[in-house]
Amino acid sequence: MIDVITPGLETSVQDYPGRIGFWNQGFPPSGPFDAWSFRLANLLVGNPVGAAGLECQYIGPTLRFGEATVIAITGADMAATLDGTPVLLWQSVAVTAGQVLKMGPAKAGTRAYIAIAGGIDTVPWLGSRSTFHKAGVGGLDGSALKKDSRIPVAYTSGTPGRSVKPDCRPVFSTDKRWEIEVVPGPDDDWIDAAGQERFLGSDWKLSGKSDRTGFRLDGPQWTFTAKAYDKLPENGSEPSNIIDHGYPLGAINLAGQTPIILVSDGPSMGGFINPYTVPSAAFWKLGQSRPGDIYRFKAVSVEEAQALRRRQDAICSMDSLA
Amino acid sequence: MIYDKPVFKPGGDRYLLIELGDELNLALNFTANGLADAIAQAGMKAVVETAPCFASLLVHYDPDLIGFADLKREMASLIAALGPSDDIELPSRLFYFPTCYLDPWTKACVEDYSAKITPKKWDAEYVAEINGLSGPAQLVRVHSGSEYWVASLGFWPGLPFLMPLDPRSRLTAPKYNPPRTWTPQGTIGMGGAASAIYPVATPGGYQIFARTPVPIWDTKRRFPEFENSICLFRPGDRIKFVPCSVEEFNEIEAEVSAGTYTYNVVGYQKFSVRQYNEWLVTIDAGKRL
Repeated sequence: MIDVITPGLETSVQDYPGRIGFWNQGFPPSGPFDAWSFRLANLLVGNPVGAAGLECQYIGPTLRFGEATVIAITGADMAATLDGTPVLLWQSVAVTAGQVLKMGPAKAGTRAYIAIAGGIDTVPWLGSRSTFHKAGVGGLDGSALKKDSRIPVAYTSGTPGRSVKPDCRPVFSTDKRWEIEVVPGPDDDWIDAAGQERFLGSDWKLSGKSDRTGFRLDGPQWTFTAKAYDKLPENGSEPSNIIDHGYPLGAINLAGQTPIILVSDGPSMGGFINPYTVPSAAFWKLGQSRPGDIYRFKAVSVEEAQALRRRQDAICSMDSLA
Repeated sequence: MIYDKPVFKPGGDRYLLIELGDELNLALNFTANGLADAIAQAGMKAVVETAPCFASLLVHYDPDLIGFADLKREMASLIAALGPSDDIELPSRLFYFPTCYLDPWTKACVEDYSAKITPKKWDAEYVAEINGLSGPAQLVRVHSGSEYWVASLGFWPGLPFLMPLDPRSRLTAPKYNPPRTWTPQGTIGMGGAASAIYPVATPGGYQIFARTPVPIWDTKRRFPEFENSICLFRPGDRIKFVPCSVEEFNEIEAEVSAGTYTYNVVGYQKFSVRQYNEWLVTIDAGKRL
């Protein structure tokens, strides 16, 4: 067991790739925002890449370990200490029974990941331990960690002293600006040429009104093709309205004039257009940014997006450990 | 219209959206659900999951196992091999839902929206007016006059996207702009030409004018209908809204909390598209009930 002394800001149990196979019932996958850092944390402690760990957001938790184990912290730097001694990121570290891991606010990046040898052993729900807060299911009793929560762990032995090679770690923006890849579609044909140029050529600010279901963006106005106006009434009368259809995860969903990136706990269907989609290999950048940060979008083809994914999958392997 | 050829649209590195048409038409939904079944039966390892909706199917695939061009080819051949939707005959449960139309809760929700966000006519009056009905009373008669087809589930776990099977009950309405920040649990509303039941209190954009006390999802699975899933419905089910009073609503809500409520489900029927189509031509679709 791990005892939660302070929970941090919405620290939750997540696994990778999350709750897959229920999109047609409306269940999102949940799972870690930055699956690159998450998977490497698991490999460091000897777990399969998908084992359940903790996702810490903005401010990390303080935890007491009930038994000796091996842990690794990756992602954002939250100035972790173990009984007062700084813990190096991107390394597997031995922990003795009773030691206290204390984490603070994120300095670089936004989300940190804690992997524990053996993985977190909460009861899976629909095949996954990932927390889906809004529905109150998965994870630890369907919610983020709370003060005095106890986290079950399937302890196994791990190897301390492993580290991720420096060139295999994601590099976080230090100037609050991010270049995010997007694949045009599925509904890019609803946006006129000027609107497409404006989308790719403008700064988009991540709004404070963002959560695990969607990242809202503030930026210029959208303009549409004739298709958005010349349509049957069942589409809905606003230009961004379309007959309800399935949403890709990562879709940039246009509700009226507000683009919302549909992230890990997002809706599976609805009646707004999705002119662009953020490919899976760029999700870690969303997870490591925070409200106020600026996005610039860069169009890539389906094939380029798939190549980026393959490259990232290859990095999330034992070959990246030293 | 129903497209001659399906339109294939990419969604990032791992989704393909297949559009079959751009109107609300049951034949399109039969094809979307039929294609989802065909994909499942073909046992394609490269397809992770699918999500059919009114006139489209979203395919989530594994790009390590199939390329985008090959996937489009595979899907085109599966679509070509689908038999005519007329031949579809599937088991279809019918759920009777006690429904309090013109209820005080959704009315209060609209009033709250009008006061805090933007002034708006009561949805029941507005929808009646734009559909040429005499008023809320006729709206209740028209909306409750048809069985509804569960075309798909989505947006929120278990939320059914519904189409009236009787064209005489067909209504259209724009969605809220901006959307509501909350909607009471069990609210029934419509947007575009679709109706829906809100499983829990969530934001929303449909015009709302009724509420049911009967849960459509249950994480605790207190009722036998949730034995296999926490979501009550599956595509191909039908729903009949049975108007009830506020008093009846309160009684049923109490039975639900006590765990003594019995769902009213008819499980012995099949839905035959051919018979449905044969019936369709016998009615005057333009005449309101």
